[in-house]
Amino acid sequence: MAAADSPSATLRRRDLCSRGIRLAGKMRSDVIDLLDTYVERQGLDASASVAVVEGVPAAAVEHWDEQSGTQRLLENLAAYRTFRTLLAQMLEEQREQLGEADAGLGRALAAVLLQVSAFAYHLEELLRLESRGAPSEEEAGPPQPLHLGLFERKLRGLGVLRELAQWAVRSARDLRQLAKPSLGSSSALSTAESP
Amino acid sequence: AFVPLTPRILSLTPDFSTSTLNLKWSDNGSIFPYGLDAFWQIQILRKETMEKVTQVIYYSKLTQEDVILSWNWTSDMPLECTSHYVKIRSYINVTQFVGPKDWSDWSAIEEVPGKDTEPNGSGMFPEDSVVAVGSDVTFCCIHEEGQEIQQMKYGREIYPMIRLSSRSSAIRVLNASASNASGTNVVCRLSEYEMHGTVLFVGYAPDIPQNLSCETSNFVTIKCTWKPGRPSGLYGKRETKYSLSERMSGKNVSCKVDETNGERVCNFSVNPDQTTYNFILRASNPIGQAESSLVIDLTQRVHPKAPEKLTFSGTNSTSVLLHWFINGSFAEIRLLCQIEISSGHSEQKTHNVSMPGGGFSTYTAQLNALRPYTKYQFRVRCSSADSFWRWSDWSRTEEHTTSEA
Repeated sequence: MAAADSPSATLRRRDLCSRGIRLAGKMRSDVIDLLDTYVERQGLDASASVAVVEGVPAAAVEHWDEQSGTQRLLENLAAYRTFRTLLAQMLEEQREQLGEADAGLGRALAAVLLQVSAFAYHLEELLRLESRGAPSEEEAGPPQPLHLGLFERKLRGLGVLRELAQWAVRSARDLRQLAKPSLGSSSALSTAESP
Repeated sequence: AFVPLTPRILSLTPDFSTSTLNLKWSDNGSIFPYGLDAFWQIQILRKETMEKVTQVIYYSKLTQEDVILSWNWTSDMPLECTSHYVKIRSYINVTQFVGPKDWSDWSAIEEVPGKDTEPNGSGMFPEDSVVAVGSDVTFCCIHEEGQEIQQMKYGREIYPMIRLSSRSSAIRVLNASASNASGTNVVCRLSEYEMHGTVLFVGYAPDIPQNLSCETSNFVTIKCTWKPGRPSGLYGKRETKYSLSERMSGKNVSCKVDETNGERVCNFSVNPDQTTYNFILRASNPIGQAESSLVIDLTQRVHPKAPEKLTFSGTNSTSVLLHWFINGSFAEIRLLCQIEISSGHSEQKTHNVSMPGGGFSTYTAQLNALRPYTKYQFRVRCSSADSFWRWSDWSRTEEHTTSEA
């Protein structure tokens, strides 16, 4: 059992959580804008249903209420590290396929990639606060899928961005949960800690 | 009636990248007298129902040897879309035989199976291809047995479907118009969550490069620039690529787009002891290629860099020595330089000097008839004296005050 939080740690966590919530909100609105641009520039149908995309972390979670704080942070961090890799792949593909033709889409993608990286760092900060430390980097990052045709890659990008938008919502909820005083004490965080 | 032996197809080879079938067969010429006319009727069939797609007659002359004949046929749809079949029969005009003559029997049918016969063949074809504006393109959607295609769309438009087999249907797009940068999506919807798709890039072959111009600023590198002409409408890895080759030296360089101003540039190293250059600029993209050529005498295409490091020496009340440096090797030519002198009082004066070119050297000019104790502004630009091509840019302006009288 970890010792009870010092007031400064509690204050620090609450500050990190509230800044994280704002970051997630900003990220979500930028991802929504990017989605509109992406759909239009890639000639996709905005209403197209995209099946679950392999290698993209799903935002939906069962028993959300029962998750511990550390679990929330770890799942969030793994997801955003994965999105960082996925968005970097999309940016590379976009440059290869379009070159300078659509620099606007490229810039928008790069901007969201920056925000995802910043948010991942923010989560690592919160985990360090738990004196738990973030898992090492190589645990994250999906392999690049084998040969995908261009249309499949376009759909995959759509799936990535849609799921990222969902994650931004979930992350804000997770951070609000973490920031709650009753749950905020580290005992709540550590008891659920699995080895 | 005289009926020749049934021909035997030696090989039927598909080239999926070009949707072309190559047929090879033997003409069995060794069993006939020399020089007879032979006619080969070739039939291409397609779909589950083995509909006849085309029938052609190929003509050859027998040479008393067994010759392997070869014939190509390009399909109007990807060969993956459905199975294609070929059969052949022959008619030999045996002039020595006075009786009636007839066609041989058809050969055994040769098949090139489509992807709709393969377990994991699902998908859309052609996959991510590039065609010229105005092309007619056939797309097919191959799905699993029992699945139904709800609709097939090209861009935003739903197209009528042509059934090829129980697992394959096609649409035919006529006179395709230019696609946007990310290509036109072709989508085959099987259910709410399942669809196959491909992308078609529709653009233009490269235009002939225009205003091709080559010059040197230093006799070390030749810089060629040009205007691409009509945009191809293709981007990224499909965009038009340029390469420059020089006939005399046989050298070839690839060119790039100048990131700063989007200008297309090719840099070619000057060859020692070569003055005349015969350049060919080739433009190519997946749709086609074009080229421009240019022959230059390098000494007539000198466009020096702006002079630098202006300094003064030997100053007195009415004259000064002005020095400047030019980054380049001009030993092969004479330089003509213009020195612009201005001061607060009087109007600007321009002083022309000519001197032998040097190798990455500093040049000097004596400027007389200056007024004592006066602040002057000096700047310099240079060009080739022998055959003028272009002035360099002006140097930075430097100030100097003459001494008192």
